[in-house]
Amino acid sequence: MSRAPVILSFLLLAVLGNAFSPENPTDRKILVLLDDLSIKSSHSLYFQSLQTRGFDLDFKLADDPKIALQRYGQYLYDALILFSPTIDSLGGSLNAAAILDFVDSGHDLILAADASASDLIREIATECGVDFDEDQSAMVIDHTSFAVSDTEGDHTLIAGDDFIQSDVILGKEKIEAPVLFKGIGHSVNPANSLVLKVLSASPSAYSANPKSKLSTPPTLTGSAISLVSVVQARNNARVLISGSLSMFSNRFFRSGVQKAGSTINHEKSGNEQFVTEISKWVFHERGHLKAVNVRHHKVGEADEPSIYRINDDLEYSLEIYEWSGTSWEPYVADDVQVQFYMMSPYVLKTMSTDQKGVYYTSFKVPDVYGVFQFKVEYEKLGVTSLSLAKQIPVRPFRHNEYERFITAAFPYYGASFSMMGGFFLFSLVYLYHK
Amino acid sequence: MAKSSAIKDAEALLRSLRSAYTATPTNLKIIDVYILFSLFTGVIQVVYMAIVGSFPFNSFLSGVLSCIGTAVLAVCLRIQVNKENKEFKDLPPERAYADFILSNLVLHLVIMNFLG
Repeated sequence: MSRAPVILSFLLLAVLGNAFSPENPTDRKILVLLDDLSIKSSHSLYFQSLQTRGFDLDFKLADDPKIALQRYGQYLYDALILFSPTIDSLGGSLNAAAILDFVDSGHDLILAADASASDLIREIATECGVDFDEDQSAMVIDHTSFAVSDTEGDHTLIAGDDFIQSDVILGKEKIEAPVLFKGIGHSVNPANSLVLKVLSASPSAYSANPKSKLSTPPTLTGSAISLVSVVQARNNARVLISGSLSMFSNRFFRSGVQKAGSTINHEKSGNEQFVTEISKWVFHERGHLKAVNVRHHKVGEADEPSIYRINDDLEYSLEIYEWSGTSWEPYVADDVQVQFYMMSPYVLKTMSTDQKGVYYTSFKVPDVYGVFQFKVEYEKLGVTSLSLAKQIPVRPFRHNEYERFITAAFPYYGASFSMMGGFFLFSLVYLYHK
Repeated sequence: MAKSSAIKDAEALLRSLRSAYTATPTNLKIIDVYILFSLFTGVIQVVYMAIVGSFPFNSFLSGVLSCIGTAVLAVCLRIQVNKENKEFKDLPPERAYADFILSNLVLHLVIMNFLG
């Protein structure tokens, strides 16, 4: 009998411990689908860097009939790496729709295509807002910013250095050496605002078949060609789409690079840094925000009221933290804004920060009553979007809260009372004259 | 010449008006003074509102309307107690005065409610 409370308290402890453990947005378990198991060794540096960062990689052949992303409605993996550019149909029950559902439910995807990418890979990319060159044999060719090699070659090995300007996506450390790229180019759907070009081709690049003579102008030219793109979906799922599988290979990681026309010969290409940093972003080790402790109250009070009155002065604060891969660090920015919103923002204020993650501001409730919302819509390049809304009603003055005895109205009061006095005097005079 | 004759005409008109007005009974003259007083107070408030602004608009309305209401009620009383007015010859002046008192009480009750 005496054991029951002990067990109960242990249970309670377990539940509490669970509840207090900080949530961890970084992916843990990753499914890697390969065309050929030799990729596992030819791209081992990349996979090792992921494993040393604590990821659990599950390598499968893309046509393995036993692969499954989910079982009993639960996803078995947090992320998917598709290094199988030539696969026409995936094994098991997996198809393009299943992979897109995986992304739609907030999971991450790294997709590498290559020359002669299959229709399946193209379809997934198109659904993510990225269109690979329709010509199956086309590759990106650049006669001015190719990587210098011993043989003249066909200039399909490109040294790309037109990176996106974002510390969140590519890390704080600048990528000095150009990134080697050999593969197909894609264009970004202009209607899709969620796709970002991370590595663009130089203005002199074009996409064509390197083995045949160019008879018609190429459809994809210049910096409109994206070599590597990322998507951050509205549910904060992140997708990386690369037109080159060899970009992730050990050979490109180790190889030196010299851009055509440049005298600097880099010992090591920028591939390792570029690919590692961007995978940190894709797997939510960087740029993942959370907002907690949303508070608001009247100035001089501590409790949160259930209703505000028009013209009340109020204070609003919240805390924003960024996941650093191991812990939640204070997020520091000067552009977090709060809206006091009813159909349109009546108040829009940039919040001050104490540099420790707390953002605060104070403002006056507008002279309009109705049901308002405190809204924080924070969307910044690279970081996950924050969207908070908290509803709060605003009431008008009660009839006894209006100002009494207004100085400006004293003449009117005087006039009314003098009319009454005049009425009294008039009555006396009118009745008693004579 | 034409101008001076116009002034002369106006002077003659005013003189005849004044001499006619002296014949008016005293009780009607008292009512007239009372009407002038209330209208004058009303005009002062309108001028004040034009200068200061219409902020406590309800106070302004009740102040001005109390003046106008008083003037209107006094005019009604004057019409009813005027002996020369044949329409009300059957109405005793006491009854007219009682109506005036009652209307004034209602008016000032409303004004007090609307004032602040």
